[in-house]
Parts: sequence; structure tokens; C-alpha cells
Amino acid sequence: MPPKPTKVTNRIRALRFESGEMTQADMAERLGVTRQTVIAIEQGKYSPSLEMAFEIARLFRRPLDDVFHYAEGGADNQPSS
Amino acid sequence: MNRELRVPGDDDPVVMTAEERTVWVYLAVVIITSTAYYAVVIPRVLSQPIEDVSWITPMLWTLGFSIVGTIVGSILGSIGGAIGLAIRGINPKGQLEGDMRDKDIKRLGDRRGAVISGSAMFGVLVLAMIGADLFWIGNLVFLAGTIGALVETSTKIVAYRRGM
Repeated sequence: MPPKPTKVTNRIRALRFESGEMTQADMAERLGVTRQTVIAIEQGKYSPSLEMAFEIARLFRRPLDDVFHYAEGGADNQPSS
Repeated sequence: MNRELRVPGDDDPVVMTAEERTVWVYLAVVIITSTAYYAVVIPRVLSQPIEDVSWITPMLWTLGFSIVGTIVGSILGSIGGAIGLAIRGINPKGQLEGDMRDKDIKRLGDRRGAVISGSAMFGVLVLAMIGADLFWIGNLVFLAGTIGALVETSTKIVAYRRGM
């Protein structure tokens, strides 16, 4: 069954890679969530709350719109990371 | 999303959180107990007048087994899950406890299940107004509870598996 995409896409995977290969488990621990939630956010299967989105951006020391993108035409119009 | 960027650990197995496991247990228990209830009651309905059908005792057993089964199943599932992780050498830290995603999924599933259960109350009201036998009133509530539970759990499972 294919995942149900959200309109919010992100560059978390790329940013983790650029941030010294931060693991999903490390990121989850720093954010206080489960690894499953990090995976779901990364794959666009779960849109985090605004507060969590800011926390993620802060974790990578990036502005919010460097991490998350809102695809105007829907999930088909996703930017690549 | 560029899937070529792999960080060590990204491919490690992902386990269910305790909340998701409980949803699966609840779904299984609802299916088993409801099927057992109808397996007992439907033959009685077909073979005797409605007023004579004994349905209260089977329903009490069904409700009792549902509650106990979900609790015991969740506990056993958690123990089994922890043992499974230990056998596979997976660190369960940060993988079993629930978080805001679990709460969001719970809220979504509960709301959809409540719509079904709430709608049935209108039917109960109508049955009471026309003086229907208690069998129909009790069983409409039971049926609504069963369908509500199936909608609730399947909504949660889809949200866990496909996203929300």
C-alpha cells in the first residue's frame, strides 16, 4: 500500500546527512519523539506540529523554510533534496 | 526526496510503538469476540421468537472477554515485543514509548469511531419510541460499538501505516 503523502515536504534526510550523518535515533532522542515519528516525518507521512517543525529547524540551525516546503499544487509538486 | 543519502542506522528494522501494538490487539479481540457473540446469538434468533432469545449473558461474556483480552493481549504483546527486540539485538530506546504522533492518530481514530457510535444513539431512540423489544435496542448498541471499534482501529492502522 503506497504511503499517503502530505503536502508538506522536507529536506530532513539531506540535512541529517550534512549534519555529520545524524542518525534517525539521535534525532528522535534530541526531539523527544520516537524514531518511527522521525521516519514518518521524513517520508512525508506525518506533518509535525508547528512547534516541532521549529524544533527540527533549530536542530539543523536552518530557517524553517530551508527544512520544510509546502507544495502548492499538492503532493505531486514535491521539491527534491 | 533523495533516497541515495543513507545514514548508518537508517535501514535498521522499525518496530511498532506500544500504542500501535495495542490497536492491533484491540482489533483482533473485537473481531474474535464479536464473531463468537454472533455465532451464538444468530442461530437462536433464527430458531425462536425474539422475545425468547437469551442474549444478555452472551453479551456480558463478550464485553468481559473484550476488556480482559485487550488488557492481557497488550501486556503480552509488549513483553513479546521486548523479547523480540532483544533477540534481534535492536535497542528499544526511543522506539516503544508513545509520542505526539501516537496522540494525533489516537484522536483521529477515536473521533471516527465516535461518529458511528453516536449515530447509533438516534436509532436507539427510535427503537425505544416505537416500543421495540429490548433485544433490538441492546443489539443495536452492541453492533454500533462493534462497527465503531472496527472503524476506529482500522483508521488508526491506516494512519500508522500509510500516514495521516
